[in-house]
Amino acid sequence: MGLIQRAIEAEGIPTVGISILKEVTQKVRPSRALFLRYPFGHPLGEAFHVAQQRTILSDALAALETVTQPGTILEPGYRWRRHRFD
Amino acid sequence: MRISHEIANAVFVKLYKHLPWLASGWARRRRFVESQDIPWAPLAKPLSESVVALVTTAGVHLKSQEPFDMDDPDGDPSFRAIPSDARRGDLAITHKYYDHSAADRDINVVLPLDRLRELWAEKRIGGIGPFVYGFMGHIDGPHLRTLMEKTAPEVARLLKRDGANATVLTPA
Repeated sequence: MGLIQRAIEAEGIPTVGISILKEVTQKVRPSRALFLRYPFGHPLGEAFHVAQQRTILSDALAALETVTQPGTILEPGYRWRRHRFD
Repeated sequence: MRISHEIANAVFVKLYKHLPWLASGWARRRRFVESQDIPWAPLAKPLSESVVALVTTAGVHLKSQEPFDMDDPDGDPSFRAIPSDARRGDLAITHKYYDHSAADRDINVVLPLDRLRELWAEKRIGGIGPFVYGFMGHIDGPHLRTLMEKTAPEVARLLKRDGANATVLTPA
């Protein structure tokens, strides 16, 4: 996914990617990433958990405005099925 | 032979989902296209005025579109343009290398279109790109070159045509 992200950014469009495999993101080096220690198949969290999905998407969007260092990987540290999203 | 291969794959999909260290080890051992330089484009205007597009590698496509190729062990580097106002029932996921049972029930788990629509309604973003571009991850071998030289730049150009001011990418 990072390779696609890099191609889009190279076209002049700012990008942010959600990552659930930090090792890969560190190697491929996209511009901005939001890393979550979540299982495969769950980048936005659990099914029908609107508050969780919304928080993660908002975090990713916020990175577009706040990140100034290329290659930044943000880690909000939400614990799978433990963190309370309101 | 074919069936035993499918069973082995299904077992690995479950293992990788529940044992993250297994995936981390795989990522450390496997070779990736690594880079030093990092492409960078700053956000040109506030998010509240920006058209945001979604791109996913979770294998999402319209039911009416050709599914991704599951028989090629190196994956499928092609993409599907999905109208972002597509109905939930029009979407399907073709991807056998991850457990998409949660995303089958609620597509927002891999493609947060409903959440993006809500943020748009609240004027937190300026608009939604007219198309979502769906890829299948798990691309290897000769298809990596196709992805890097052909299909990924093609989607980048299409996003530009769509008027996207920013893009959020979601994996499987």
